[in-house]
Amino acid sequence: MFLPDYYEFCARVKTVAGHRALDRIPELLSSLGSSRPMIVTDRGVVGAGLIKLVNAAMKGSKAKIGALYDETPPDSEYTVVNSVAKLYRAKKCDSILAVGGGSVMDTAKGVNILASLGGSNIQDYEGAGAVRRKLKPLIAIPTTSGTGSEVTLVAVIADHKRKVKIPFTSYFLLPDIALLDSRMTKTLPPFLTAPTAMDALTHACEAYYCLAKNPLSDATAIAAIRLISANLLKVIKKPGDLQGRLDLANGAILAGMAFSNSMVGIVHNLGHATGGVCGVPHGVCMSLFLPYGLEYNLHKRAGEIGELLFPLAGPEVYAATPVKQRPEKTIEYIRGMNQDLHDATGGRHARFLKEIVDRDGRQLVPVEKLPEIARTAQGDGTKVYNPEDVSYDDALMVLEHAYEGKPLDRKRIKKG
Amino acid sequence: MNHDSYPEIKPGKKTLKRIYIAVMLLIVGRAIQAACRTDSTVKKEFQNFKDGFAFSLGVHPFGPWMIVGRDEKGRAKYLGWKPEGKKISLKMNIKNVEAAMLVFTFMESTSVAFARNRFVVDGDLIDALAIVRVLDLVEVYLLPKLIAGLAVKRYPKWSELSPVKKHLGRIVIYTRALLGF
Repeated sequence: MFLPDYYEFCARVKTVAGHRALDRIPELLSSLGSSRPMIVTDRGVVGAGLIKLVNAAMKGSKAKIGALYDETPPDSEYTVVNSVAKLYRAKKCDSILAVGGGSVMDTAKGVNILASLGGSNIQDYEGAGAVRRKLKPLIAIPTTSGTGSEVTLVAVIADHKRKVKIPFTSYFLLPDIALLDSRMTKTLPPFLTAPTAMDALTHACEAYYCLAKNPLSDATAIAAIRLISANLLKVIKKPGDLQGRLDLANGAILAGMAFSNSMVGIVHNLGHATGGVCGVPHGVCMSLFLPYGLEYNLHKRAGEIGELLFPLAGPEVYAATPVKQRPEKTIEYIRGMNQDLHDATGGRHARFLKEIVDRDGRQLVPVEKLPEIARTAQGDGTKVYNPEDVSYDDALMVLEHAYEGKPLDRKRIKKG
Repeated sequence: MNHDSYPEIKPGKKTLKRIYIAVMLLIVGRAIQAACRTDSTVKKEFQNFKDGFAFSLGVHPFGPWMIVGRDEKGRAKYLGWKPEGKKISLKMNIKNVEAAMLVFTFMESTSVAFARNRFVVDGDLIDALAIVRVLDLVEVYLLPKLIAGLAVKRYPKWSELSPVKKHLGRIVIYTRALLGF
């Protein structure tokens, strides 16, 4: 077991998980002293009828929904956060129910900063630890099994002017309650279930090899990988499998606990930059960059990467693979997962950058954008936590390989 | 109950450690100014900052600090050790003296210190990362490879920083830092 000289771990979010966990909302709001929550969500969640489930759970409660904001964009964004905070104040809300995926959660966290601490511009709170006081109650109800934002101290909010995604980190950004209900992810289509769950898998894998890893983040990361690996393809093939959905949701929350405490590295570094520059959904970036992140850090973290084979592939494969071959086998296994998801979603799960297209079939990441992505990655905080340094040249080299879908040329990795 | 049996305990000042950190901050601050006039990468980083940019690096809550800003020509300028009365766009504080000692005795790299939650960063994170890159490069110039290797994640290869450039740069930066120009 890896024991660092020093570590910090904080996972103080009360978690309520089950097939009908939503029914607890009135009582949970009351326990937080809240009677007028604002719902922050997006159109997709409303369209899938999930807000109806929340409303149904609120029936007979003393609490009233003070406002429903359902226009959260796919990427949480500064101007949206600022205007929703205004709405929160105008409607005299006293807490937030965040119902959605990562963007909704991060928007809700941003709104909560302004609603609780004052001000009209979330950019005033940029930085690590700039939020230093307890915020208003926030209940996070994820509708994807990926982001883990329901238990993390991070909110990633995009600045479209600068084409960057800025992380806000503070223990006060941890929601008060995370509520996992299998019904909330049941309607998520396979082509979205795949990248969001791969996002969670990436959180766990990066948590296991990045600089702040510790025994507690390791334990949660391993448990997360086991749940995600065992259930992802099963759920893709049978979307109505409620137990599989709940298992994935638990995997995502465990992965969230892991990475919230050990942070993430190059996969998120390149993913945030690709998302910021080209508007690629976060989970898609995570799936395709994950094998490259493992390859890039292999010379510094071979032992850890080899250990990931156990929760990923199971005890039989792990035991049958010689120790020296386990790190390579882990990378091969994850590439295999991406291929299986690609096949199971009729080709909608992208395996490399060149394959990513928008709804109209247009390529989202043109090759000429790679230098801009590499430059943007230099301003993303996750680079600090990666075991190996990631310079502009390194980032560009990885992007070029990920664009074509070729394994990394190991000779080109500079070893520190 | 005799209240005198329960004395107040005043925290120690750790004066020697503070003096050591203050000296290190002075050297690093002046070395950043010097490196900006010697090394093109450091120069470029400072040119990318906005007009009027200044950052402080120090120890929470009582210091010591160093303040470095960008002058009108886009060059780094050491602005002393007192943050009072200065408009500082980026504040990077190490949470306590002991954590600062780990960083300034190079027992912990800047990255590991960040990972161990030893810093509070108030300001633009993109600027903070640029400062981390500058600090890493300045450490490579100031310190022998054996020590600098502990302070930075990856010591530059010959192709990135030739020994001639490094040693010449070291002499110039030390001279300028000592003379303060």
